[in-house]
Amino acid sequence: MKKNQVKSQFVAVASIAAELSDVMNVAKEISLAAANAKAIAFRAGEKAKGFQPITDFINELAKDTINLVNNINLQAVKLYQLTVNEHKMTAASNQLARVKKLTGNAAYEASMNTSQEQAEQRKMDCRREFQSHVDQLLEQLASVMHPARAARVIAANSRIEASQAGEYLQSLQAVAESVDNAALVIHSNVQRCRTALSIINFTD
Amino acid sequence: MKMTKIYEGPYQWLMFGRDENKPDKIIDTNQYVVRTGSRCLVIDPGGVELFAPMLAAVLHHAPVEEITDLFASHQDPDIISSLGLWDQALPNAKLHASALWEGSIRHFGCETIEYIPIQDNGGVITLDRVELQVIPAHYMHASANFNIYDPNAKILMSGDVGAALEEPGAPVFVDNFDEHVEKMRFFHQRWMPSNQAKRFWIDRVRDLDVEILAPQHGRMFKGDDVKRFLDWFDALQVGIAV
Ligand SMILES: [Fe+2]
Ligand SMILES: [Fe+2]
Repeated sequence: MKKNQVKSQFVAVASIAAELSDVMNVAKEISLAAANAKAIAFRAGEKAKGFQPITDFINELAKDTINLVNNINLQAVKLYQLTVNEHKMTAASNQLARVKKLTGNAAYEASMNTSQEQAEQRKMDCRREFQSHVDQLLEQLASVMHPARAARVIAANSRIEASQAGEYLQSLQAVAESVDNAALVIHSNVQRCRTALSIINFTD
Repeated sequence: MKMTKIYEGPYQWLMFGRDENKPDKIIDTNQYVVRTGSRCLVIDPGGVELFAPMLAAVLHHAPVEEITDLFASHQDPDIISSLGLWDQALPNAKLHASALWEGSIRHFGCETIEYIPIQDNGGVITLDRVELQVIPAHYMHASANFNIYDPNAKILMSGDVGAALEEPGAPVFVDNFDEHVEKMRFFHQRWMPSNQAKRFWIDRVRDLDVEILAPQHGRMFKGDDVKRFLDWFDALQVGIAV
């Protein structure tokens, strides 16, 4: 494997972890915004009647996102371990091939064959495992997109409800605004994770 | 990789070193192999870079399934960073190394190979009917550090003690002790931390019958040069960096 490919593989996996922790922070912000909105809607009483169920819904979405990301984080740690394994196995298999070249006509050269085949096998196993893990992770990332998309729809509804809320109009609009922004940030972070994952590939 | 037979009897001691293909910036090392009827011990197998030439060289003397034992005198990368690769190559091997260093040495990769922890007071490695003594050499230079002594072949593998920084392709035995001294002085003064530990080691080694003192770098000492080395080392102040 070429040096910069090794590097890009490790960097991709590490950058996914970084993106995910950003997603987590944004989800926590949404959760806070929901609590905030709930307090405002409560004070607004009748005027913000339509807004109250929306705040619960926002809160649910934030929770869903946090759970999904927690889960994905665990998977990302596993992906890192698989990356390390794959890297080790590729190095071992390359080195054993090098031994073969250097033995000349050593008396016991053939005794190496099994180890070499096994190392090659382990390398391929690692790659398969890595690839299937990447596929799983891509699916999970796609599932984070759902609450983010729903959040944007809710934000649009919130704006309409906010317009009925008289003097609370501005604060409720601000809530809608921050949910919408958060959803956008999550969307683009997750998109970056997916791109990073899909460009990882192995070459010796 | 150059091979020199240093003992031939019912079993053999082989010294490997002076690898021509070694990258320039890594230190040249000596590896030692004890080959008995059905087993083979590799002493201080070396760094990652050395793995392929070293295994290729050993395959002239033993098949992988008979390379049953590795020994690491201490934890340094030039001693044992190749472990993760031996781990993939040897189907049934043990690594004998300090119990204290286990947590560090395992960072190099040790899953198939069994780690046999050596306690501070040393022990014995048995290969077929050959018994090798594992002699404590703590702080010489690593905090937990061992030498291997073969009372029958009268060889002491002394790890970094007796090491010298040599030109590539230097002869394997010291031929002029007085000239050799300058290649060892700084190395010992700087890498050996404790005069007290040095005293302890010298006393211990003086009680052994040593015909060849075999360090991990540079040349081996033979016959009277062994005694000359001990006297020289005895008079040297070490731990000079503080
Ligand atoms: Fe060392
Ligand atoms: Fe060394």
